[in-house]
Amino acid sequence: MRLTRRDVLVVALSAVFAGSAWAHGPSRQKVELTVDIAAPADKVWARVANFHDMSWHPAVARTEGQGGNEVGANRVLTLKGEGDPKIAEQLTRYNAEGKTYSYKITEVDVKVLPVTNYTAHLTVTADGEGKSKVQWRGAFYRGFPNNDPPPELNDQAAIDAVTGVYKGGLDALKAEMEK
Amino acid sequence: MRARLLRASLLAAGLCALPVAQADERAFVTNQSAQTVSVVALPQMKVLATLAVPGKPAGVAAAPDGRRVYVSSPEGAFVTVLATDPPAVLRRIALEGGPLGIAVHPSGKPLYVADWYAGRIFVVDPDTGARIAELKTGASPSGLALSPDGSLLASADRDSGQVSLFATADNSLVATVPTGARPFGIGFTPDGAHVLSTDVGADAVTVIDVARRVRRATIAVGERPYAVAFAGGRAFVTNQYAGTVSVIDLATWERIADVPTGEYPEGVAASDDGASVYVANWFDNSLVRIDAATLQVVGEARTGDGPRAFGQFIARVPAP
Repeated sequence: MRLTRRDVLVVALSAVFAGSAWAHGPSRQKVELTVDIAAPADKVWARVANFHDMSWHPAVARTEGQGGNEVGANRVLTLKGEGDPKIAEQLTRYNAEGKTYSYKITEVDVKVLPVTNYTAHLTVTADGEGKSKVQWRGAFYRGFPNNDPPPELNDQAAIDAVTGVYKGGLDALKAEMEK
Repeated sequence: MRARLLRASLLAAGLCALPVAQADERAFVTNQSAQTVSVVALPQMKVLATLAVPGKPAGVAAAPDGRRVYVSSPEGAFVTVLATDPPAVLRRIALEGGPLGIAVHPSGKPLYVADWYAGRIFVVDPDTGARIAELKTGASPSGLALSPDGSLLASADRDSGQVSLFATADNSLVATVPTGARPFGIGFTPDGAHVLSTDVGADAVTVIDVARRVRRATIAVGERPYAVAFAGGRAFVTNQYAGTVSVIDLATWERIADVPTGEYPEGVAASDDGASVYVANWFDNSLVRIDAATLQVVGEARTGDGPRAFGQFIARVPAP
């Protein structure tokens, strides 16, 4: 994740495109990561099921918000890093029985996470006795809304950043659950 | 349609020894991430070929004669001309900017290609690649559609919140009609009386009265509507975030059903007989077939990664 990086170009561009969250490039990207965890699905789901508690993710310093686990609930993630970078998110689907929820980013600076129009799902499934799988999948556009993006805001930068978020979170969740 | 009627009358007259197959329909699905086009036999849902098309292909328009398909590549700034039978890449038409929305005139030419970045539509001769004219639109023109009689071209100008209507005879702008926020997909009803835009930012469809050039109705649909197709007196609207197709009755303008299709449904097109509606699910990498009568998903084909199929992606391939 680009938590502390400061790049003059990126900062300048994010100022230019602030307020144009709808603008996006022509090609949406997707990232899908799955981790196998040697712990029951109920236990793993219990750890991640509260939309207002992202403490299982090592990059998240705190989670604040309202609305519980109801669709439309909002949360703000404050990330660890210089300047308290923040990501605002909204719950779009929640299915406790299916152990899955979906959310979208409602506001993020591209210097925090170089994406726009981001949506994602987090799903826990049982995988035999005492084992589970956790899948995190997201869809998003790169941070730069026009052709010829700078490297910091191109498709690969967006994919790398989201992959980093997912991998960091899933690895930590696995480690905690298997402790 | 005409070909089938002809065949039917030949059959009736006993002039055809064997039942003639229905129009051989094929879907040409642009796989933006994979940079390929999946060619799928309909309604069998059998993948016949996968063609390499670079430049992050997104838009697609089948020629009315069923022999050619045009694919836009916004990141390559070109259009690729495909043959439908056998499926093959023929040539490339170089453009500029971010060509995305694409539609072909009912007579077979010209081809209209919207530049997502520059607020213009290229009018192109698909045979020679020559640019005939350039039409000025609002910001981020997205979906394009021709009226059934070919007299009007409609452009969904996404970031201007309007539809532009052009007379194809002289390429003049005849009207701009306000829509809901961020119209992206667009289509004329089969009778040509209305234009529907799918307003991504409003989770709604705007119905425009073509004769009066005014907004007639706004219909709520699922979250982040993408595109629209028509079959059996109904409109079928893909909702990206909702993972559904909203079905609208064209007689009453009522939303009568939401059909779950898959994750991120995007491109949508109907079979010529109106019996089937086909939807590309961008996240799932699938093309699904919806029975337009029962509103059930009845078939699926695997596509390449990231199918968008933005446009009229079904070619009615003439019998050899």
